[in-house]
Amino acid sequence: MNDNPQITRRDFVRMASTGAAGALLIGCESGARRDTPAAVSREPVTAEPPPPDTKDWRVLADEALSRIRRCGAEYGDVRLLRSTTQVVRGEDGRIAGVSDRVSRGFGVRVLYHGAWGFASSALVHGAEVRRVADLACAIAKASAALVSDPVKLVPEPPHIARVATPFQLNPLEVPLDQRAALLLDSMSVIHAQEGISRSSGRIWMQRDEKFFASTEGARIDFDLLAINAELRATAALEGRFASRAFHTPYLRTGYELIRDSDLVSQAERIAAQAVEKAQAPTIDPGKYDLLLDPEHLSLTIHESCGHPSELDRALGYEANYAGTSFLTPDKLGSFRYGSPVVNLIADNTEPGTLAATGYDDDGVECQRWHIVREGVFSGYCTNREVAGKIGETRSRGSCRADSWANVPIVRIANVGLAPGDGRLDDMIADIRRGILIEGHDSFSIDQKRYNFQFGGDAFWMIENGKRTHMLRDVIYAGITPEFWSRCDAVADAMHRRTYGFITCGKGQPGQSGWMTHAASHARFRDIDVIRGATAQT
Amino acid sequence: MRHEPAWTINRLLAEQTRHPLPAVRPQVAPLAASVRKRDNVRMNLLDKTECRRIADLALSAAKADHTLVSISDENGGTARIANNQIVQNVESHRLVLQIESAFGLRRGAAVTTELSDESIRETVARSEAVAKVVPEDPEYLPPLEPRRYPVLASWREETAAAGAEARAAAARTTISAAREAGMTAAGIVSSSASAVCIAANSGLFAFERRTRAEFSLTATAADSSGWVQCASRSFDDLDIAVQSRIAIDKARRSAAPRELPAGKYTVILEPAAVAGLIGPLFGALSARSYQRGTSPLRNRFGEAIVDERLTLRNRPDHPQLLGDAFDTQGLASDFRTWIDRGRWLQMAYDRFTARQAGVAPSYALDAPHLSGEEGGVGGVEDLIASTERGILVTNFWYIRSVNATDLTLTGMTRDGTFLVEDGKIAGGLVNFRWHDSPLRALRAVEAFTAPLDAITAERDKMMLPAMRIRDFNFSSVTRF
Repeated sequence: MNDNPQITRRDFVRMASTGAAGALLIGCESGARRDTPAAVSREPVTAEPPPPDTKDWRVLADEALSRIRRCGAEYGDVRLLRSTTQVVRGEDGRIAGVSDRVSRGFGVRVLYHGAWGFASSALVHGAEVRRVADLACAIAKASAALVSDPVKLVPEPPHIARVATPFQLNPLEVPLDQRAALLLDSMSVIHAQEGISRSSGRIWMQRDEKFFASTEGARIDFDLLAINAELRATAALEGRFASRAFHTPYLRTGYELIRDSDLVSQAERIAAQAVEKAQAPTIDPGKYDLLLDPEHLSLTIHESCGHPSELDRALGYEANYAGTSFLTPDKLGSFRYGSPVVNLIADNTEPGTLAATGYDDDGVECQRWHIVREGVFSGYCTNREVAGKIGETRSRGSCRADSWANVPIVRIANVGLAPGDGRLDDMIADIRRGILIEGHDSFSIDQKRYNFQFGGDAFWMIENGKRTHMLRDVIYAGITPEFWSRCDAVADAMHRRTYGFITCGKGQPGQSGWMTHAASHARFRDIDVIRGATAQT
Repeated sequence: MRHEPAWTINRLLAEQTRHPLPAVRPQVAPLAASVRKRDNVRMNLLDKTECRRIADLALSAAKADHTLVSISDENGGTARIANNQIVQNVESHRLVLQIESAFGLRRGAAVTTELSDESIRETVARSEAVAKVVPEDPEYLPPLEPRRYPVLASWREETAAAGAEARAAAARTTISAAREAGMTAAGIVSSSASAVCIAANSGLFAFERRTRAEFSLTATAADSSGWVQCASRSFDDLDIAVQSRIAIDKARRSAAPRELPAGKYTVILEPAAVAGLIGPLFGALSARSYQRGTSPLRNRFGEAIVDERLTLRNRPDHPQLLGDAFDTQGLASDFRTWIDRGRWLQMAYDRFTARQAGVAPSYALDAPHLSGEEGGVGGVEDLIASTERGILVTNFWYIRSVNATDLTLTGMTRDGTFLVEDGKIAGGLVNFRWHDSPLRALRAVEAFTAPLDAITAERDKMMLPAMRIRDFNFSSVTRF
């Protein structure tokens, strides 16, 4: 099944502890470190030997690195990747698709006279590695003529390491019929609810085996897992319809995430709530206090804090597509982003989270730092290319590609809202007229990340400190720093949950980013709420 | 199912004379480089014989009742520009082989990116292993029988020939234009060539080679920006110098933007903005959601759902559109009228819902062409000239559904929003958030142009008119 003997022999690291889900650790070996690398020395050009006739990733990587050195580049790296993705998909009570996808390939990145070239291919053999490495060099040379501000990478020790996701149950070994049966059972529970019109569900998992090597001497093996399950119930009653969803978080762990999430009882709950939501009264627009649950907040944080904290955006790299950022470098360390209870921390070291991969695709070690400290903007997500442009001496390790085919770019880290000292019951009791919002639905934000508008998956009225009935059509809107300045309480660590995304779109060609956003419930005072509907004229 | 007769090259040429292509412009790349790159690209792509061999190997290794083979081989590159320089320059060779197998109603699929004989057989075995263990899918239908496919002008040599050097030369053109105007360029120049093949043990076989070229520029000035995006089968049709000037001109004319209060305004939507507004309506034409009571068009089939002067057709033959000859199941592309003078005539039927309803499955709307019977008033300038007061919108951004029951959407204006007064552009405006439904807005159309090129970061290429629309709902303003 695996054509790389070194990686085949390497078993997944099993977690030593036998206990609770959530206590899982990413097994990082920091490995040997060398001093900051000197410039790559240029190898003399001699007669061409034939390309290596092997599928051994290490030999192929060495071939790529040798071609990069030969072309006179100051830096280069190669990533060889094999991703296995299995998806079981249910729709309207049936299994609508089961797929087993293996994607193999490699990408070569070259920095020549301050200009990047990148080429990649699905054909993993010696001659193609040579062609693609040479092509990456040629592309870098073609770009070099159009570079006025040459790329200078900030230093990183060349790590030699191995990273593997710990797990109890290998998800890829859980029989497919068992996964399909779980979805069928869940959907049949959804359809048992009167008023339900449609159902869907999905169990998704991916294993990434990856080898990264650079001309500086970094050599890192990865064997990573990620997994999630989700369900949706849609009710249609008297011409109105509404849906309600359940998602496990996306985590780097084993099948125990799904085993322990009790999908079937979640199915029963969301089906009942979908029917209630379809019949719920519409919102009366106006000012409300909002109590946002951790799952809902994961998207609010992602859009209004995560994206504007990407330094490449702030420097204009995404001006044509994903956009720029209102958090410009002049605001670093002084701009009031939110109230003093707002602490947004990037943590790519938290075990089980999506961006905790030990090292990023620059080969930079994963780190933890503040994006917002006590309400003040205090840090960016960076890579080795952009960090130096604002005078930072080390990358934050937030550079990732979504596959072998794409070039690594700056991605949002695991940015989460740090727990506060609020007791959830007290936080609700202290709301006279408010709305509890759970989960995600509609979301939109301008390209500098100021003006946003979010819906949610479920809404409950809070009146005089008590949660009463469900609502529909709730949309809240605001300007990012004004909104976060209205945050007056964050619940304690007991309520902290992690949710992640694997569909964060950025880059041209488009790539999907993976990251986790943790939060406890948070309360926001006096927020504009509008009705998500159109008056027909 | 009934088929349209296969289109011929002659027919396509006839279509081109009715929809003339932009004038031929000189190639950006030096010829020698083009030839060199072309050979490189063509050597890398699978041809029809190789696809046939791979499909035959997979089908002969298959033990399932039904097997569908899909092959996609693509070689493409993108030069990415920011801050008036190339910041990213990539080229990727992507290869995908998918096998779908079925034993009775049990179905499975497996994908690989390696095309050795051993890997092909192994992928067939994985797909069959999946199919054997999963529950029956009552909606499974075996692969289609063999059929004829239209021959489209989907391959252009000059695009396949446009490699890293040609993309860099085009990037230089747009960077120079921005620099001369004292602005900052961010954008892309991309070109790709692909080969796509479908085969099944029913005898179904389809092969098509496709090229695609794309250009986009965001020109940024001190307090304003302008944008343009275009895509074509032909790298030479990108018209980079002219398009760059459009983006630069928008940035220049929207300098020192004024802030207007949120509220309902007459708007002139350029084709890209219309694409953002109408795209979600295409998704709402689904027969399945109509049957299940989860369609925003509940009980409105056959009724007027947009302005009664507008007709929506699929036009795979159109030289400015990017429709394919067949889809992933091997359905043949077709000319189909989806909306006729405002009335909704065609639902989107997948094969199963089509069979239940006793109709033909519908090929996806991948070459949308919206036009008026009388062809419209001319260009965007004519719409501006006939507008007393309104807001001209270049493009929308981050469009999302707000309410699935009435198709309320939200989004932002982006990269060129203007106040129009007394038939003229009076200056730039601070960007708005909007909140409206295409089901309302497309019934409030005052005037529209002939169909024009429309493509955005969120919607693939269409031909759509620019439109003037009454009472468009801007719900808030932002800070720039």
